[in-house]
Amino acid sequence: MAAPCRRMASVTLLYFRSCFRRTAVGSAGVRQLSTTSVCGVTLQTKSRTEKPPSPWTLMAAVCLQRLPVISADCSPVEQRFRQMLQQMELEKSLVSEHELRLLEDAERLSRKQADDYDSDDEGSHGDQDIVLAQDLEDSWEQKLQTFQPGLRVNADADEDLTSLERCLADPLVLVAEQQVGGDKLWLLPQTQWQEGETLRQTAERALNSLPAGLKATFLGNAPCGVYKYKLPKAARTESTVGTKVFFFKAILSDSGAPAAPSASLLWAKKSELQRYLKPAYMMKVDRFVLAL
Amino acid sequence: MSAVLRKVCVTRQASALSQALAACWAARPLQHPVWAPVNTRHYRSMPTHGIGRWRHLVPKEKTKKKKDKIQMKEILGETDTAYGSLNVTVSGYDMTLVEHYSQYIHNLCHRLAIKVAESYILPTKTTEVMLMQEKGTKMFVDAVLKTHQRVVQLSSLDATACPVLLDVLLQNQPEGVELCVSQHTEAHFQARFKGRPELEGLIAQLTY
Repeated sequence: MAAPCRRMASVTLLYFRSCFRRTAVGSAGVRQLSTTSVCGVTLQTKSRTEKPPSPWTLMAAVCLQRLPVISADCSPVEQRFRQMLQQMELEKSLVSEHELRLLEDAERLSRKQADDYDSDDEGSHGDQDIVLAQDLEDSWEQKLQTFQPGLRVNADADEDLTSLERCLADPLVLVAEQQVGGDKLWLLPQTQWQEGETLRQTAERALNSLPAGLKATFLGNAPCGVYKYKLPKAARTESTVGTKVFFFKAILSDSGAPAAPSASLLWAKKSELQRYLKPAYMMKVDRFVLAL
Repeated sequence: MSAVLRKVCVTRQASALSQALAACWAARPLQHPVWAPVNTRHYRSMPTHGIGRWRHLVPKEKTKKKKDKIQMKEILGETDTAYGSLNVTVSGYDMTLVEHYSQYIHNLCHRLAIKVAESYILPTKTTEVMLMQEKGTKMFVDAVLKTHQRVVQLSSLDATACPVLLDVLLQNQPEGVELCVSQHTEAHFQARFKGRPELEGLIAQLTY
């Protein structure tokens, strides 16, 4: 069936207006995403001549990623370089307004405490006498003490592979255990293509069929990878030679209420994917999963 | 006597000169004579005449008159395989982060052979954070926050390149920076110009 490929070409693409905001506060440790689609997808089915159906079963899979929430820690070389640059910038910088005010206040205070002080010599600095710059600094310091930053590394969550809050500095990929052919395999969630829908709609269906209610934004109409699986010679028939799986990338938007963790869904880093996916499958997935 | 002597001297000088010349030409047959000025071009019959000419190869630039209105670059519509003109807006409070991220996006587009139509800056928006005083009704200024915006306008984005580009941009997005990808319209272009209230007032008077 060459249908999907031609249909892909004739489908007008979704216009999307997506805003990706990266804030430190995330309800489930997930980046806020908002999308509004301006025009919907219109399917133009052309009348085509009857062609013999292709022997390949088509499936679409979704590569759902949770993006990193915090930036990764710097390596030792980067830390030293950063310190050196900061010191250089400090030494080259000029004194700021606030620091100037501090110096002036200190000087005025020392003049006041001198024996031969004449308040008439002072200019009109009425306001600045009441609130010294040092007082402002002290009040800011106090406010800083009351602020508690969140934990960057949560060791408990890191161990739990089903938790969404693990490894906040790395991107995670959703892996599901699904029934394929007779055995249960770990792979990216997939489902079979049906007549009359685009491959992207198939991928969306695959995502919605998962037990956990996950909302995602698909990054585009074009697949990012493909995996071809030929059935063993014994199982091959005239109509089925194997399956072709097309992968679509999606980013996890604000997932609603955290669903109960099910044993068949995992959030894995790229380095951990090898443990769960089959080697040939892993080779193809490796090419498009980015772990920068 | 003197005339004869002078003639002899002159002829001797002339012969000496011609000998010198001959020697000069023999030593450096294909180069300029030493006393010729540096900026004379080769003679037209020399095979290397015109070597080094390049201005005729550069396309002629149209001289811009000051009265010309700035023309909008053509907004491409979408096709079956590519998105049209897109605006990638980067905004945030920290100017160094915002600028560096927008430069990164621009360089990444060059790398991936995605055509960048324009790259411009929208005016900074200043927000004053006012806090209420603890005992009293007066509000005082707590902080002044400036929102900086940078826009990278892509002329056309291939549908196959789109998920790749977006994935890389999102994974490298720094903290505190907002990324927004939207369609470029004429309204976006017109919003960059300053309003002219007197002109609009006069036009309103004319049409009234």
